[in-house]
Amino acid sequence: MTDTATSSAPKPSLRQWLLSPEPASRSQARLGRLYVGWKTFIGNPLAVMGLVIVLALIFVAIFADVLATHSPTVGGDLRTQRLLPPSAEFWFGTDDQARDIYSRIVYGSRLTLMVVALVTVIAMPIGLLFGALAGYVGGWVDAVFMRLTDIFLAFPRLVLALAFVAALGPGIENAIIAIAITIWPPYARLARAETMTIRNSDFIHAVRLQGGSTARILFRHVVPLCTSSVIVRVTLDMAGIILTAAGLGFLGLGAQPPSPEWGAMIASGRRFIMDQWWVAAVPGMAIFIVSLGFNLLGDGLRDVLDPKASR
Amino acid sequence: MTAPFLAIRNLTVVFGKGADRFVAAEDVSFEIAPGESLGLVGESGSGKSTVLRAITGLNPVTHGTIELDGRPVPTPRDLPFYRTVQMVFQDPYGSLHPRHTVDQILSEPLAIHGIRDTSDRIVSALAEVGLGPGFRFRYPHQLSGGQRQRVAIARALILRPKLLLLDEPTSALDASVQAEILNLLENLRREHGLTYLLVSHDLAVVAHLCERMIVMRHGQIVERMTAEAVRRGEVHHEYTKLMLEAEKGFSRAQPR
Amino acid sequence: MSATNQTPLLEVEDLRVRFHLRRGIVDAVRGVSFTLGRERLGIVGESGSGKSQTGRAILGLTPPPGEVTARTMRFAGVDLLTASKRELRRLRGDRMTMVMQDPKYSLNPVMTVGRQMVEACRAHSSLTRAEALEKSAAMLADVKISNPQRVMGLYPHELSGGMGQRVMIAMMLITSPDLLIADEPTSALDVTTQLEVLRILDELVAGRGMGLIFVSHDLELVASFCDRVLVMYAGKVVETLKASELRSAQHPYTRGLMGCIPRLERSVHPLPVLNRDPAWAE
Repeated sequence: MTDTATSSAPKPSLRQWLLSPEPASRSQARLGRLYVGWKTFIGNPLAVMGLVIVLALIFVAIFADVLATHSPTVGGDLRTQRLLPPSAEFWFGTDDQARDIYSRIVYGSRLTLMVVALVTVIAMPIGLLFGALAGYVGGWVDAVFMRLTDIFLAFPRLVLALAFVAALGPGIENAIIAIAITIWPPYARLARAETMTIRNSDFIHAVRLQGGSTARILFRHVVPLCTSSVIVRVTLDMAGIILTAAGLGFLGLGAQPPSPEWGAMIASGRRFIMDQWWVAAVPGMAIFIVSLGFNLLGDGLRDVLDPKASR
Repeated sequence: MTAPFLAIRNLTVVFGKGADRFVAAEDVSFEIAPGESLGLVGESGSGKSTVLRAITGLNPVTHGTIELDGRPVPTPRDLPFYRTVQMVFQDPYGSLHPRHTVDQILSEPLAIHGIRDTSDRIVSALAEVGLGPGFRFRYPHQLSGGQRQRVAIARALILRPKLLLLDEPTSALDASVQAEILNLLENLRREHGLTYLLVSHDLAVVAHLCERMIVMRHGQIVERMTAEAVRRGEVHHEYTKLMLEAEKGFSRAQPR
Repeated sequence: MSATNQTPLLEVEDLRVRFHLRRGIVDAVRGVSFTLGRERLGIVGESGSGKSQTGRAILGLTPPPGEVTARTMRFAGVDLLTASKRELRRLRGDRMTMVMQDPKYSLNPVMTVGRQMVEACRAHSSLTRAEALEKSAAMLADVKISNPQRVMGLYPHELSGGMGQRVMIAMMLITSPDLLIADEPTSALDVTTQLEVLRILDELVAGRGMGLIFVSHDLELVASFCDRVLVMYAGKVVETLKASELRSAQHPYTRGLMGCIPRLERSVHPLPVLNRDPAWAE
């Protein structure tokens, strides 16, 4: 690579480039920060386990077609293949419709992932923006907003979601909307609290003094600082989101049969729990593992993103 | 007698109402000629920072007028105002956005004012405050206190203002770093013909950087004098004398 | 070197404080040695010099992941490095105490002043609550607080800076310690209040025959207040001198530090800037 060994310095390794104290471009600086955050993250074995679980969920969801052994919705012979225990042919056994539970779990991961992703995508931006706006502007905007969130927070989450689903009609899409509607207030409160601590900082004054508009200050300066705590809160909430969706499914208001939603699977397996425990237990385990994974991931993210923990 | 660049007349700032009423500044009047450097001296609660923030529009004004270059300042302040008047804040650890690189911090004012050649301006702004281009993509937590303050000064100057408001710019810095920043501020003023309004509790710092100074206490002006007079010890008001004594440090010979 | 010919109050030899951080090892204090009698010793340095960590190491307040090692660290003859936890608890907070910079952060915000002082008092003695209250009020009067009863009922956020610092001093002297470490005790105060507080501290320290370690970044202030001064740079002591001999300091860092401060007596433009010689950090 080098012609003259004496005149050219060795090319810096990727690690050195990322940790360079004098980054030469914005992307280098940003990647460097991500790298440092990553190293902090993987120093925590539980967080890594959480990440592995979440990645496994995504993997299973993407490759469901390849990983499943049978159809998730079409059952086998209703006379001979109902409620079979786990075996070589049916890895987790079969349910009361002679459907392979393993394949249903695999395809159900798509539904779980969809629920989690869509709820996050809907609720997080709404919460962030409302909260930051209320916190920054203050005055009557803040007061109105606080009363609005009070109303939402006064109801237990499942009850509120039930009310919305009852109004919108059963189905997984409506369940997602309902859950998203009920879950944004705490994120808004969080964003508002963060905003109120930083709105009197000198760096915010400095932007105002440059002529920055409120919108600019909110989007480029305030919201980026609220994002970390909201992300952590969202990941810790994901377990709750999955369980709420499962709860709605259990009540028959979420995913409709024959959809392999894990909560609905528990509901239908409830009747057989004494003798054919695997019908309810396996989807229960799946929910447990995924919730745990998100929880651990959230904890790990908090260690990385929390400004009080870093330094 | 040249027209003053900044004229403050009967400025009064009152916070709260009724029992909570607090007069932060009362009937403050002074003028700064173009290219001059004026110091506002006082301890905490003197109202000096209030006056500064009233000028920038960060505090509302209850009575009085603020005139810049002969014209009253618009409320709310407009973009031309912000191109003329800028501020350097006290705490270097709080005045830079923790998640923005130096490059982003310096390009923000340029973007707001629609100035195009950002890259060149940023590099020359950094050079002016003695920071090389290697600092351009660092985050504030990767800078020392003195370096952060230099970035804050670069940010204030990048719009080429005429009046610079300095709110205790060196109080949070080590003594050796303070000397560097004071020298920098002096050079910049000479190079760019800037007008300074410096707020500080430190008489020596103000005497070093300013020609005239005003002493404030409990929101009111108690004395006005030149730096020369302070150096000679020719002060009249009780409070100013007290500050001058305190400047000398601790002495066991003091009668109590 | 020490002002008395008894056993020195504090003997420190080769004190080292090391932090094992994620990003590497940081040596905050690298081999500091000094002895202290019943005198006033100032430790001066800029941020990062290790002056605060030195004081905290003596009191056992080094935050984890800090590691404190020393060849000798003896207080009134007791070896602090090998003493039992019980012994250390008896000494620290009772025989030696610390006054910190900002009373807003060093006083418990949810307890009244009186309650905190009584707690400090009773933690190290067998006084009854009534006796402790009396002692607290007397102590507050000693720091020139004119209405001790009223102040004892206040919360820390209701105190002005100067008053808060005086309360802090009262609280730290209530057990009649032999050694007081003051870490930037007046830096958060206005200049006129600073001198009042220092005067009170001076009277109390002299009156009780205590040893005082005064940690600060303000070289002039320390030199005017203390008997001896240690100048620290990058974790080491670069110069030790008698406060009265400050003008004839030898080390270039000390001279540079004195030279770069703006003064009213003379107008120097530009201010001399400290050129840090890397040799000083070795």
